[in-house]
Amino acid sequence: MTFDQSENPQFDIRGQICPSSLLVALREVNKRQQEIKAGRQHLILLTDNRDATTTIPEALINMGYNVSVAKEGSYYVITVTGQPV
Amino acid sequence: MLSVFIIAGTCLILGLASGFLMHRSDFCLVATFRDLFLFRSWFLIRILLLLVVTSMVLFEMAHLLGLLPSHPFPLLGALSVATLIGGFIFGVGMVLAGGCVVGTLYKMGAGSILSLVAFIGLIFGSGLYAEIHPFWSTFVKKTTFFPGIITLPHLLQLAPGWLILPIGGFSLWLFHRWQQQNLWQRTAYANNYLQPWKAALGLAIINLFSYIIVGMPLGITTTYAKLAAYGEHFFWPRHLESLSYFQAVPLNVTLPWLGLHLQGGAAPRIDAIAYIQGPVIIGIILGSALSAILNGEFKIYWRAPRRQYASVLIGGIIMALASRMTPACNVWHLMGGLPIFGLQSMVFLVALLPGAWLGSRLLTILVMNS
Repeated sequence: MTFDQSENPQFDIRGQICPSSLLVALREVNKRQQEIKAGRQHLILLTDNRDATTTIPEALINMGYNVSVAKEGSYYVITVTGQPV
Repeated sequence: MLSVFIIAGTCLILGLASGFLMHRSDFCLVATFRDLFLFRSWFLIRILLLLVVTSMVLFEMAHLLGLLPSHPFPLLGALSVATLIGGFIFGVGMVLAGGCVVGTLYKMGAGSILSLVAFIGLIFGSGLYAEIHPFWSTFVKKTTFFPGIITLPHLLQLAPGWLILPIGGFSLWLFHRWQQQNLWQRTAYANNYLQPWKAALGLAIINLFSYIIVGMPLGITTTYAKLAAYGEHFFWPRHLESLSYFQAVPLNVTLPWLGLHLQGGAAPRIDAIAYIQGPVIIGIILGSALSAILNGEFKIYWRAPRRQYASVLIGGIIMALASRMTPACNVWHLMGGLPIFGLQSMVFLVALLPGAWLGSRLLTILVMNS
């Protein structure tokens, strides 16, 4: 897993065991709850797991976040924000 | 010879269709139980129920129409404590492996290296089982309840319809309620996503075809043992000959419509197990790969934490051992045995739940918290 030390953390979890995408998303969102909710930070996940493009938005939208999913070549980019982008 | 090609070709087509459907819908039987414990998600449980009830009705209709070569199907055994233990261990293994014996194949077909490692673990674990087979088969015999009785209707001396009608009726009402509450659909962002309820209906029909044409629902685990036997035959041929598990011929059935007698086991030779299960395995891998390629999603990723590699390898070994101990996998029991009220399959499901719970805890603690 790589961690980009920029303002918006990015997690590359392509090729990992199920359900790492959702577990990483939940763990990292909870760590940065205040920053994300206040719109100071976005969380970006790169995943090749099709299931994650459903389960992550489902879980995080229920928790009050905004989630967008975009296909980039062979994988998906999931962006978690506190407010609509 | 022609009939063998018909069987192998049918199995390949059924495997291709299954792999394609599974990849498009990501309908994973491991996620069904794991997500229930990890995320309290009931969505896939509803899909599994739809699959089981649909299969129950389809199998019984085919049975009443005289389309099934044998009922119950071969290789489904009597209830034993061994199934309880095996089902529990299987539940732990499948979660650690990140996919069951079939899920591993479709994920591998889409390019997952971790699933390839789990696949190697499955072969290794199947070979390992042969070492404990004499002890385990004695245990199975000693702890068997109701010998010779395979299904609940047989035990209760009832026609299956007496169970299927109330269960089917109640399920129909329940499914209708879920439809009104919009609980069948998932908001999905993946390309060409197939709603899992559609995949469940498709898999029920595929399994029906398998039962009618090949004489049994989809099952693949003996072939993992066969692959292990080929490996042992290459490296340790004398040791292989000393193992009783590889001498057994558990499949012994006639398909009347083809006039074909099917015989086979885990031994390293091309027999009925090889030309029934082999093409299903190849089909699932290719079907999923085809779906991933058409979607522009086929890519091999190998960078994953070492702990995950260890988890899938150990999970694969554990799952293979358990699948020989029960003796079958979750797909065989849940999609085949449960719809005909197989006692062994019902107990397998009961044991699978705490196993999947423990597997989910272990996965979170040992793998995800790293």
